[in-house]
Amino acid sequence: MATFELYRRSTIGMCLTETLDEMVSSGVLSPELAIQVLVQFDKSMTEALESQVRSKVSIKGHLHTYRFCDNVWTFIVQDALLKSEDFAENVGHMKIVACDSKLLTQ
Amino acid sequence: MGDDQVFEAMEPMDFDKHPSGIVPIIQNIVSSVNLDCKLNLREIAQKARNTEYNPNRFTAVMMRIKEPKTTALIFASGKMICTGAKTEQQSKLAAKKYARIIKKLGFPAKFKNFKIQNIVGSCDVKFGIRLELLAVSTHGVFASYEPELFPGLIYRMKSPKTVLLVFASGKIVIAGAKVKDDVYAAFENLFPVLTQYRRK
Repeated sequence: MATFELYRRSTIGMCLTETLDEMVSSGVLSPELAIQVLVQFDKSMTEALESQVRSKVSIKGHLHTYRFCDNVWTFIVQDALLKSEDFAENVGHMKIVACDSKLLTQ
Repeated sequence: MGDDQVFEAMEPMDFDKHPSGIVPIIQNIVSSVNLDCKLNLREIAQKARNTEYNPNRFTAVMMRIKEPKTTALIFASGKMICTGAKTEQQSKLAAKKYARIIKKLGFPAKFKNFKIQNIVGSCDVKFGIRLELLAVSTHGVFASYEPELFPGLIYRMKSPKTVLLVFASGKIVIAGAKVKDDVYAAFENLFPVLTQYRRK
Protein backbone atom coordinates (compact mmCIF):
# COMPACT_ATOMS: atom_id res chain seq x y z
CA MET A 1 0.00 0.00 0.00
CA ALA A 2 1.22 3.46 -0.87
CA THR A 3 1.45 5.99 1.94
CA PHE A 4 1.43 9.73 2.45
CA GLU A 5 4.45 11.29 4.10
CA LEU A 6 2.15 14.10 5.13
CA TYR A 7 2.18 13.34 8.85
CA ARG A 8 5.97 13.33 9.24
CA ARG A 9 5.81 17.10 9.69
CA SER A 10 3.42 16.77 12.64
CA THR A 11 4.83 17.07 16.19
CA ILE A 12 4.76 13.32 16.71
CA GLY A 13 6.35 12.71 13.30
CA MET A 14 9.11 15.27 13.90
CA CYS A 15 9.87 13.74 17.31
CA LEU A 16 10.09 10.27 15.81
CA THR A 17 12.37 11.50 13.02
CA GLU A 18 14.60 13.27 15.55
CA THR A 19 14.87 10.17 17.74
CA LEU A 20 15.62 7.93 14.75
CA ASP A 21 18.29 10.40 13.59
CA GLU A 22 19.95 10.25 17.00
CA MET A 23 19.83 6.46 17.07
CA VAL A 24 21.30 6.22 13.57
CA SER A 25 24.11 8.68 14.31
CA SER A 26 25.00 6.87 17.54
CA GLY A 27 25.04 3.58 15.68
CA VAL A 28 22.18 1.90 17.58
CA LEU A 29 20.04 1.66 14.45
CA SER A 30 20.85 1.10 10.80
CA PRO A 31 19.63 3.80 8.37
CA GLU A 32 17.61 1.18 6.45
CA LEU A 33 15.73 0.17 9.57
CA ALA A 34 15.08 3.85 10.43
CA ILE A 35 13.48 4.40 7.04
CA GLN A 36 11.39 1.27 7.50
CA VAL A 37 10.17 2.66 10.82
CA LEU A 38 9.17 5.93 9.13
CA VAL A 39 7.25 4.09 6.42
CA GLN A 40 5.46 2.08 9.11
CA PHE A 41 4.70 5.38 10.86
CA ASP A 42 3.08 6.71 7.66
CA LYS A 43 0.92 3.58 7.43
CA SER A 44 -0.01 3.59 11.09
CA MET A 45 -0.96 7.27 11.05
CA THR A 46 -3.30 6.75 8.11
CA GLU A 47 -4.84 3.69 9.74
CA ALA A 48 -5.20 5.33 13.13
CA LEU A 49 -6.83 8.45 11.73
CA GLU A 50 -9.23 6.28 9.78
CA SER A 51 -10.21 3.81 12.48
CA GLN A 52 -9.56 5.39 15.88
CA VAL A 53 -10.24 9.10 15.61
CA ARG A 54 -13.90 9.88 16.08
CA SER A 55 -13.78 13.58 16.92
CA LYS A 56 -14.71 16.15 14.32
CA VAL A 57 -13.50 19.71 13.95
CA SER A 58 -15.24 22.41 11.98
CA ILE A 59 -13.26 25.23 10.39
CA LYS A 60 -14.90 28.47 9.43
CA GLY A 61 -13.06 31.44 7.99
CA HIS A 62 -12.14 33.49 4.96
CA LEU A 63 -10.54 31.60 2.09
CA HIS A 64 -7.48 33.60 1.10
CA THR A 65 -5.83 31.23 -1.35
CA TYR A 66 -6.58 27.84 -2.82
CA ARG A 67 -4.64 25.50 -5.04
CA PHE A 68 -5.21 22.09 -6.56
CA CYS A 69 -2.19 20.46 -8.11
CA ASP A 70 -1.01 16.85 -8.24
CA ASN A 71 -4.18 15.74 -6.45
CA VAL A 72 -3.39 17.85 -3.40
CA TRP A 73 -5.66 20.66 -2.23
CA THR A 74 -3.99 23.53 -0.39
CA PHE A 75 -6.05 26.18 1.34
CA ILE A 76 -4.96 29.24 3.28
CA VAL A 77 -7.75 30.37 5.54
CA GLN A 78 -7.71 33.74 7.31
CA ASP A 79 -9.36 34.49 10.66
CA ALA A 80 -10.42 30.91 11.08
CA LEU A 81 -12.59 29.64 13.91
CA LEU A 82 -11.81 26.05 14.81
CA LYS A 83 -14.58 24.34 16.69
CA SER A 84 -15.01 20.89 18.13
CA GLU A 85 -17.12 19.49 20.96
CA ASP A 86 -14.90 20.70 23.77
CA PHE A 87 -13.01 23.70 22.39
CA ALA A 88 -13.19 26.67 20.08
CA GLU A 89 -10.21 28.72 18.98
CA ASN A 90 -9.53 31.62 16.64
CA VAL A 91 -6.41 31.68 14.47
CA GLY A 92 -5.20 34.47 12.17
CA HIS A 93 -3.93 32.21 9.41
CA MET A 94 -4.16 28.51 8.84
CA LYS A 95 -3.00 26.24 6.07
CA ILE A 96 -4.89 23.12 5.13
CA VAL A 97 -3.22 20.44 3.03
CA ALA A 98 -5.56 17.68 1.92
CA CYS A 99 -4.84 14.54 -0.09
CA ASP A 100 -7.32 12.12 -1.60
CA SER A 101 -7.24 8.94 0.47
CA LYS A 102 -8.69 7.02 -2.49
CA LEU A 103 -5.26 7.31 -4.11
CA LEU A 104 -3.83 5.03 -1.39
CA THR A 105 -5.96 2.06 -2.35
CA GLN A 106 -5.06 2.25 -6.05
CA MET B 1 -30.80 41.00 -11.14
CA GLY B 2 -34.04 42.80 -10.37
CA ASP B 3 -32.19 45.57 -8.55
CA ASP B 4 -29.86 46.04 -11.52
CA GLN B 5 -32.79 46.62 -13.81
CA VAL B 6 -34.26 49.26 -11.53
CA PHE B 7 -30.86 50.93 -11.44
CA GLU B 8 -30.57 50.83 -15.23
CA ALA B 9 -34.05 52.25 -15.57
CA MET B 10 -33.10 55.24 -13.42
CA GLU B 11 -30.35 56.26 -15.82
CA PRO B 12 -31.47 58.30 -18.83
CA MET B 13 -32.42 55.73 -21.45
CA ASP B 14 -31.43 55.96 -25.09
CA PHE B 15 -34.74 55.08 -26.74
CA ASP B 16 -33.13 55.02 -30.21
CA LYS B 17 -31.02 52.13 -29.03
CA HIS B 18 -33.60 50.58 -26.71
CA PRO B 19 -37.06 51.29 -28.22
CA SER B 20 -38.56 48.53 -26.06
CA GLY B 21 -37.57 50.45 -22.94
CA ILE B 22 -35.75 47.34 -21.69
CA VAL B 23 -31.97 47.20 -21.52
CA PRO B 24 -30.53 43.67 -21.39
CA ILE B 25 -27.96 43.26 -18.61
CA ILE B 26 -24.59 41.91 -19.67
CA GLN B 27 -23.92 38.82 -17.56
CA ASN B 28 -20.72 37.32 -18.94
CA ILE B 29 -17.96 38.14 -21.38
CA VAL B 30 -15.54 35.57 -22.77
CA SER B 31 -12.29 36.70 -24.35
CA SER B 32 -9.20 35.00 -25.71
CA VAL B 33 -5.58 36.06 -26.02
CA ASN B 34 -2.34 34.44 -27.10
CA LEU B 35 0.56 34.79 -24.64
CA ASP B 36 2.75 33.47 -27.45
CA CYS B 37 5.07 31.25 -25.40
CA LYS B 38 5.03 27.62 -24.26
CA LEU B 39 3.96 27.30 -20.63
CA ASN B 40 4.78 24.76 -17.94
CA LEU B 41 1.36 24.34 -16.41
CA ARG B 42 2.47 22.31 -13.37
CA GLU B 43 4.93 25.08 -12.45
CA ILE B 44 2.21 27.73 -12.86
CA ALA B 45 -0.22 25.71 -10.72
CA GLN B 46 2.39 25.28 -7.98
CA LYS B 47 3.68 28.85 -7.92
CA ALA B 48 0.60 30.98 -8.53
CA ARG B 49 -2.29 31.39 -6.11
CA ASN B 50 -5.89 30.33 -6.64
CA THR B 51 -5.13 27.74 -9.28
CA GLU B 52 -6.54 24.34 -10.11
CA TYR B 53 -4.72 21.89 -12.36
CA ASN B 54 -5.98 18.37 -12.84
CA PRO B 55 -4.57 17.12 -16.16
CA ASN B 56 -6.60 13.88 -15.89
CA ARG B 57 -9.76 15.93 -16.21
CA PHE B 58 -8.79 19.04 -18.16
CA THR B 59 -5.53 20.06 -19.81
CA ALA B 60 -5.58 23.70 -18.68
CA VAL B 61 -4.77 25.53 -15.47
CA MET B 62 -7.80 27.29 -14.03
CA MET B 63 -6.86 30.53 -12.29
CA ARG B 64 -9.04 33.14 -10.61
CA ILE B 65 -8.52 36.74 -9.57
CA LYS B 66 -10.79 38.84 -7.36
CA GLU B 67 -10.65 42.14 -9.26
CA PRO B 68 -12.11 42.04 -11.88
CA LYS B 69 -13.76 38.86 -10.59
CA THR B 70 -12.91 36.45 -13.42
CA THR B 71 -11.63 32.97 -14.21
CA ALA B 72 -8.90 32.19 -16.73
CA LEU B 73 -8.15 28.94 -18.51
CA ILE B 74 -4.46 28.81 -19.33
CA PHE B 75 -3.21 26.25 -21.85
CA ALA B 76 0.30 24.88 -22.34
CA SER B 77 0.37 26.34 -25.86
CA GLY B 78 0.23 29.83 -24.36
CA LYS B 79 -3.39 30.46 -25.34
CA MET B 80 -5.65 31.81 -22.63
CA ILE B 81 -9.42 32.21 -22.19
CA CYS B 82 -10.80 34.75 -19.75
CA THR B 83 -14.40 34.42 -18.56
CA GLY B 84 -16.74 36.06 -16.11
CA ALA B 85 -16.16 39.77 -16.76
CA LYS B 86 -19.14 42.10 -17.06
CA THR B 87 -17.67 44.64 -19.49
CA GLU B 88 -15.24 44.47 -22.44
CA GLN B 89 -12.79 46.74 -20.60
CA GLN B 90 -12.90 44.53 -17.49
CA SER B 91 -12.31 41.44 -19.60
CA LYS B 92 -9.23 43.00 -21.17
CA LEU B 93 -7.94 44.32 -17.85
CA ALA B 94 -8.36 40.86 -16.29
CA ALA B 95 -6.59 39.17 -19.23
CA LYS B 96 -3.71 41.64 -18.81
CA LYS B 97 -3.52 40.85 -15.09
CA TYR B 98 -3.30 37.12 -15.83
CA ALA B 99 -0.59 37.76 -18.44
CA ARG B 100 1.31 39.75 -15.82
CA ILE B 101 1.08 36.91 -13.30
CA ILE B 102 2.46 34.48 -15.91
CA LYS B 103 5.25 36.96 -16.70
CA LYS B 104 6.13 37.29 -13.02
CA LEU B 105 6.56 33.50 -12.87
CA GLY B 106 9.34 33.88 -15.44
CA PHE B 107 7.62 33.07 -18.74
CA PRO B 108 8.15 35.49 -21.65
CA ALA B 109 4.43 36.13 -22.02
CA LYS B 110 3.22 38.56 -24.67
CA PHE B 111 -0.32 39.79 -25.29
CA LYS B 112 -1.29 38.93 -28.85
CA ASN B 113 -4.64 38.93 -30.65
CA PHE B 114 -6.87 39.83 -27.72
CA LYS B 115 -10.43 39.25 -28.86
CA ILE B 116 -13.87 39.27 -27.28
CA GLN B 117 -15.39 35.92 -28.26
CA ASN B 118 -18.81 35.96 -26.67
CA ILE B 119 -21.07 38.35 -24.81
CA VAL B 120 -24.08 37.06 -22.91
CA GLY B 121 -26.92 39.25 -21.72
CA SER B 122 -30.28 38.64 -20.15
CA CYS B 123 -33.49 40.48 -19.40
CA ASP B 124 -37.10 40.07 -18.40
CA VAL B 125 -39.94 41.37 -20.63
CA LYS B 126 -42.33 41.00 -17.64
CA PHE B 127 -45.01 39.11 -19.55
CA GLY B 128 -45.54 35.46 -20.36
CA ILE B 129 -44.81 34.20 -23.88
CA ARG B 130 -46.68 31.52 -25.81
CA LEU B 131 -43.67 29.62 -27.06
CA GLU B 132 -45.76 26.89 -28.69
CA LEU B 133 -47.37 29.48 -31.01
CA LEU B 134 -44.15 31.37 -31.69
CA ALA B 135 -42.48 28.10 -32.71
CA VAL B 136 -45.04 27.34 -35.45
CA SER B 137 -45.30 30.94 -36.75
CA THR B 138 -43.38 32.47 -39.65
CA HIS B 139 -40.47 32.76 -37.21
CA GLY B 140 -40.46 28.98 -36.91
CA VAL B 141 -37.56 28.71 -39.36
CA PHE B 142 -35.31 30.42 -36.80
CA ALA B 143 -36.91 28.89 -33.75
CA SER B 144 -36.55 25.47 -32.24
CA TYR B 145 -38.83 24.55 -29.36
CA GLU B 146 -38.52 21.06 -27.87
CA PRO B 147 -40.00 21.31 -24.37
CA GLU B 148 -39.10 17.69 -23.68
CA LEU B 149 -35.44 18.50 -24.27
CA PHE B 150 -35.21 22.07 -22.98
CA PRO B 151 -37.93 24.32 -21.56
CA GLY B 152 -36.83 27.40 -23.54
CA LEU B 153 -37.32 28.28 -27.18
CA ILE B 154 -34.03 28.60 -29.05
CA TYR B 155 -34.08 31.42 -31.59
CA ARG B 156 -31.12 31.53 -33.99
CA MET B 157 -31.10 35.07 -35.32
CA LYS B 158 -29.37 35.67 -38.66
CA SER B 159 -28.52 39.32 -38.12
CA PRO B 160 -26.94 40.11 -35.78
CA LYS B 161 -25.75 36.50 -35.63
CA THR B 162 -26.83 35.55 -32.12
CA VAL B 163 -28.80 32.90 -30.29
CA LEU B 164 -31.66 33.87 -28.00
CA LEU B 165 -33.20 31.63 -25.38
CA VAL B 166 -36.81 32.61 -24.80
CA PHE B 167 -38.62 31.23 -21.76
CA ALA B 168 -42.38 31.06 -21.21
CA SER B 169 -41.94 33.26 -18.12
CA GLY B 170 -40.71 36.15 -20.27
CA LYS B 171 -37.08 35.79 -19.25
CA ILE B 172 -34.69 36.10 -22.21
CA VAL B 173 -31.02 35.15 -22.61
CA ILE B 174 -29.03 36.58 -25.53
CA ALA B 175 -25.75 34.83 -26.39
CA GLY B 176 -23.18 34.62 -29.14
CA ALA B 177 -22.65 38.34 -29.69
CA LYS B 178 -19.14 39.72 -30.22
CA VAL B 179 -20.06 43.31 -29.34
CA LYS B 180 -22.43 44.67 -26.70
CA ASP B 181 -24.57 46.53 -29.25
CA ASP B 182 -25.36 43.22 -30.98
CA VAL B 183 -26.89 41.96 -27.72
CA TYR B 184 -29.10 45.05 -27.63
CA ALA B 185 -29.91 44.91 -31.37
CA ALA B 186 -30.81 41.21 -31.20
CA PHE B 187 -33.16 41.83 -28.31
CA GLU B 188 -34.82 44.82 -30.03
CA ASN B 189 -35.29 42.73 -33.19
CA LEU B 190 -37.08 40.01 -31.27
CA PHE B 191 -39.07 42.20 -28.88
CA PRO B 192 -41.96 43.05 -31.29
CA VAL B 193 -42.33 39.32 -32.02
CA LEU B 194 -42.49 38.56 -28.30
CA THR B 195 -45.25 41.13 -27.73
CA GLN B 196 -47.18 39.43 -30.55
CA TYR B 197 -47.14 36.10 -28.67
CA ARG B 198 -47.82 37.58 -25.27
CA ARG B 199 -49.74 35.24 -22.95
CA LYS B 200 -53.14 36.72 -22.16
